[in-house]
Amino acid sequence: MLRQVKPRNARSKRALEKREPKANENPKTCLFLRGNNCSQIVQDAMNDLFAMRQPLSKKFTKKNPIHPFEDAASIEFFSEKNDASLFVFGSSQKKRPHAMTLIRTFGHKVLDMLELHLDPETYRSIAQFKTKKFAIGMRPMLLFAGSAFESPVPNEYTLAKSILLDFFKGEPSDKIDVEGLQYIISVAAEDAAGEGDAKPAIRLRVYTISTKRSGQKLPRVEVEEIGPRMDLRVGRMQEADEAMLKEAMKKPRGTEERTKKNVTLDSMGDKLGRVHLGKQDLSQLQTRKMKGLKRSRDDGVELEDVIVDEPKRARK
Amino acid sequence: MAVSISNKPKLPVVVEKPTPYTFDLGLLLAQDPNPVALDASSVDSSLAQLARDGAQSLINQLLTTCPLQSTSDGVLLTLPPPATRLPREKPVPQPKPPTKWERFAAKKGIKPKTREQRKNLAFDEESGEWKRKWGYKALNKKGEDDWLVEVDPKKEAERKEGTSVRGDGRRERKENMRRNERKMRKNERDAAAKMGKKN
Repeated sequence: MLRQVKPRNARSKRALEKREPKANENPKTCLFLRGNNCSQIVQDAMNDLFAMRQPLSKKFTKKNPIHPFEDAASIEFFSEKNDASLFVFGSSQKKRPHAMTLIRTFGHKVLDMLELHLDPETYRSIAQFKTKKFAIGMRPMLLFAGSAFESPVPNEYTLAKSILLDFFKGEPSDKIDVEGLQYIISVAAEDAAGEGDAKPAIRLRVYTISTKRSGQKLPRVEVEEIGPRMDLRVGRMQEADEAMLKEAMKKPRGTEERTKKNVTLDSMGDKLGRVHLGKQDLSQLQTRKMKGLKRSRDDGVELEDVIVDEPKRARK
Repeated sequence: MAVSISNKPKLPVVVEKPTPYTFDLGLLLAQDPNPVALDASSVDSSLAQLARDGAQSLINQLLTTCPLQSTSDGVLLTLPPPATRLPREKPVPQPKPPTKWERFAAKKGIKPKTREQRKNLAFDEESGEWKRKWGYKALNKKGEDDWLVEVDPKKEAERKEGTSVRGDGRRERKENMRRNERKMRKNERDAAAKMGKKN
């Protein structure tokens, strides 16, 4: 636990206010750490991930004697000190080679962890692809392919999906420039071939998108790989504590939109509105004007004349 | 038909899958629930094909369902709010417990002051002018520097040693301020204790 600092000036007060829990949260900061032993490949992979998440990430280069699955106290300390809630911890041991541990925290306590082992043979860094890259801070499009990610029971793959979504979602915005849709991150997992213990690798690929005219309204999309290319095997994982997850999934009050009355979407996605009109006053209804229905000046005498007049009109 | 033959052949833009994609457009996310079978000989090209199909369908979905808006900066897409629930970073902040005054006001049905009431201006009947309620030469300092003050002999006899009727107004004003600060501190203390108990 860090000591509680009382702000002594307006600037530090503002800085502390930024860190306070809020109903509408800041985007998560990701911290990249390395363990005592960390292979060059894992360091390169972490550099790539760091570059992809650029404005919202921090990287520490010193060695840290941390074993997150044994003791997460240092992670929690780093979380509090740096106001970070996502971690990528790289390490490499004989038993667990080329491991990247993705850690999420909630309220500066570890929420869940997932260890991913990088395949050193197939790994290619961003620099190894000689292609045009996307600009910093662009929001990626995401694709999760494979039935493993759709599992109704929480397992490594659903956790990987949740953490990777958190990692790549970027700064939330409700408006996006069409030009900003520049790249897609595709995460695919094959289906397990047999009922063996070999779990299929998670294949992470990044592509830029180019659109071509197709002669139709929608453009034809083509992709080109820009890296990094990572094949990740799932290792250990630590699922979230149920009570903690429940707390973390809470929605602040007053954020949900009010349901609009009388507006519905039909099965085609068209908006339908129902309008209620009051009862129409039929006495004000404009009907065809006829001399016969006109209010006369003095009723008795005029009435006879009108009746005589009427058939004449009709003949014309 | 002849026209289409003479033109370039139309490029396919529709992606056919046995199970349709699911989308979360707020996160720009497409999910392909179909089982993935990769060619062992050309893993990367089949992955690229998979990504292309995903990108195509996601862009199709974005361009057909989201309202487009062209501005001088470019064409903007309005995205729906994200539907996938992700855990928060920090707990939801608790509402501050009401102060003693707020509780009292709620019980009595006292409404907060309006903008007009909060204004630092009031009409002074005596001088017939608009004056400040507080601050420099304000109405709460009225009578503090009168050149002549009426004195009640009885009260004057009970007066504390070393004080005079001069400065009584100021002393009272300052005491009120201190009292209000005491109350404020107590409210803060109570709120902290209550919030601490909840956590």
